[in-house]
Amino acid sequence: MIAAALSLALSMSLSAGGAGAGEHLLAGAGLFREARYAEALVEFRVAQRLGAAEAAGYAGATLVQLGRPDEALEAFGGPDAPARDALLDYYRGLAAFDARLYLAADRALTSLGSRAGPRIAGQAARLRQEIATALSGEPPRTAVDWYLARCAEYRGQQREVLARAFCRESSELGARRADRYGAQPRSASEPASQAKLAGSRP
Amino acid sequence: MIAPLLAALTLAVASEPCAPVEPLPQPDPASAALYREVGDSEQAAGHREPALAAYRDALRNDPSDTKARAALDRLCRAPAGADPFQEGLRRMQAGQPREAIAQFEQARAGGPDPSAALLEGICWYNLGDDDAAAPLLREAELRPEHREMASYYRGLVALREGSASDAARLFDVASADPALEHLSAGLARVAHRDGRLVLSIVAESGWDSNVSLAPGGTFGPTSASDGTYGLSATALYRILGPSGPYLRASGFLHDQFQLGTYDLKGVDGAVGWQVGRADRGALAEYDLGYRTFGMNPFLTSHQLLGSGWLGAGGVVWTASWLGRFESYDGGFSPFSGFLQHGELRATFPLGDRALAGLAYGLGHDSTERSVLDFTEHGPGALLRLGVTPRLRFGLDAALTFREYGAFDPTLSARRADQYLDGAVFTEYDLSNHLMARVALTGRKAFSNVDAFDYAKLVPTVGLAWIGGW
Repeated sequence: MIAAALSLALSMSLSAGGAGAGEHLLAGAGLFREARYAEALVEFRVAQRLGAAEAAGYAGATLVQLGRPDEALEAFGGPDAPARDALLDYYRGLAAFDARLYLAADRALTSLGSRAGPRIAGQAARLRQEIATALSGEPPRTAVDWYLARCAEYRGQQREVLARAFCRESSELGARRADRYGAQPRSASEPASQAKLAGSRP
Repeated sequence: MIAPLLAALTLAVASEPCAPVEPLPQPDPASAALYREVGDSEQAAGHREPALAAYRDALRNDPSDTKARAALDRLCRAPAGADPFQEGLRRMQAGQPREAIAQFEQARAGGPDPSAALLEGICWYNLGDDDAAAPLLREAELRPEHREMASYYRGLVALREGSASDAARLFDVASADPALEHLSAGLARVAHRDGRLVLSIVAESGWDSNVSLAPGGTFGPTSASDGTYGLSATALYRILGPSGPYLRASGFLHDQFQLGTYDLKGVDGAVGWQVGRADRGALAEYDLGYRTFGMNPFLTSHQLLGSGWLGAGGVVWTASWLGRFESYDGGFSPFSGFLQHGELRATFPLGDRALAGLAYGLGHDSTERSVLDFTEHGPGALLRLGVTPRLRFGLDAALTFREYGAFDPTLSARRADQYLDGAVFTEYDLSNHLMARVALTGRKAFSNVDAFDYAKLVPTVGLAWIGGW
């Protein structure tokens, strides 16, 4: 149902890009509705190359369905990108959740507010409940370090959107600890036990 | 929370990705080049299905695009048919672990595939084959993105094998992922309290509204209340781990603050053998017990216990029987004899955080005097609720119908009692080893002999320390 809603939203919002880009966007929307996500992604990527700015968001939603949340977040412009369409913002929250960026996911889902329809609002509420459960205790130091290590890893790959998101998550999780371990923004290149571990793995 | 993490590994499978390509009526080399670029990008990132779809679209737009043709041929030659990883995932989600394992093995045949190794390891764990699961989970653990999930399942394997210290370490690693932290932290505490050697010490204090004349329900109450304190210690040594022989020693004291003649002390030594695991197994045990009551010798017992359990359809069925040869001292000697009790119990989960149980028991006590013999039976129920990872709540209730064996001239009646027993408690984990407990137990006894008709309440607070190695 949400896939169909995405397709409908896309059909109604086609405006930018050339005529060719529009055709690819519509083709992608149709494939998305049929759950043919790999093919839909290809159409959205082609539309992007033809200059359709909105194709990135739809590619992001498709990447979520393909289980590639990190790339989805890059397509969305990061977990805290400005709000756009409620459905795409829901997918942005979902991407953050799948990427384990729970605080970012919560922010994205909260930002839906009254813009979302009842079905999406219900799914968002369930997801936020899962997040609340996952974050109900004090985050362990290893979790703070884990996010910092991911930040360093993405920074090393020059994937700055993801690096910023993981560093922010690390810092905000640290702020939830009584000792505020990791609460202050640290350089991702700063030695941290987990970062060293992650870096030493093949 | 685990299901979404597994689902995140899902990739869509394009239908017939290597079938002949139907070209468009009008070739469009420019569009073909765009599709090919997308295909190259997806292939470089290791995403086979979108790459296949992109190259097919490139060839549809321009059948003479040799680069797209070569790339598509390369992809189609590599693994024939559907992506075995995807097929394995589909089978796993459909509840077909053995079929999923075959697919994951095929996926790993072409080279290291930590994602397939992780899921195959989970399948083997769910099938109970820990030997097959362990190396796969270790392989998956080497990849940072699978580290916590693989550690979590390795922890479960270690816990099942009785390697409590390994399990605790692995759960600590898994708890780095907030999505697993709740599950892992709770299991880590279980692991810290489990092992081949488990020591526990419990200290508690409370108040008894109606102190019993003697333990074991052999007499009614005194109608006097008193404060109580107690201390117990138990050592359990499982020589080969959870499955195999074990030894247990325990001792306790339960004293009244003022009514010292009702103080109870005891020691037990037991030897037993357990086979199987949590979902199916059996045990047999012999226990030698000794009790003093009011500082005087009271009871020596030889107890045999047999129990078996089997999980089926989400319910664990347990059947147990105990027989105890009791030898009472002094004035209690007429109570000596053979006590038996059997019970059938079904326990089942209620949602993610609660466990419920229903039971029915049947018992008989053959003593030296028929007026003291009794037969009893009745239902029981339990509820365990994990309120938070550290806080638990429990409720026990039982109703027992007891009939004595003969008319008692002293009472001018053949005694018949009914007991309504209840207990509520809450436990809070102060640390991996230390736990606080507050409990309220109560009994209402109904009897055809007024002297045995009574009610009692016993609130207690306690601290328990449990350590496993």
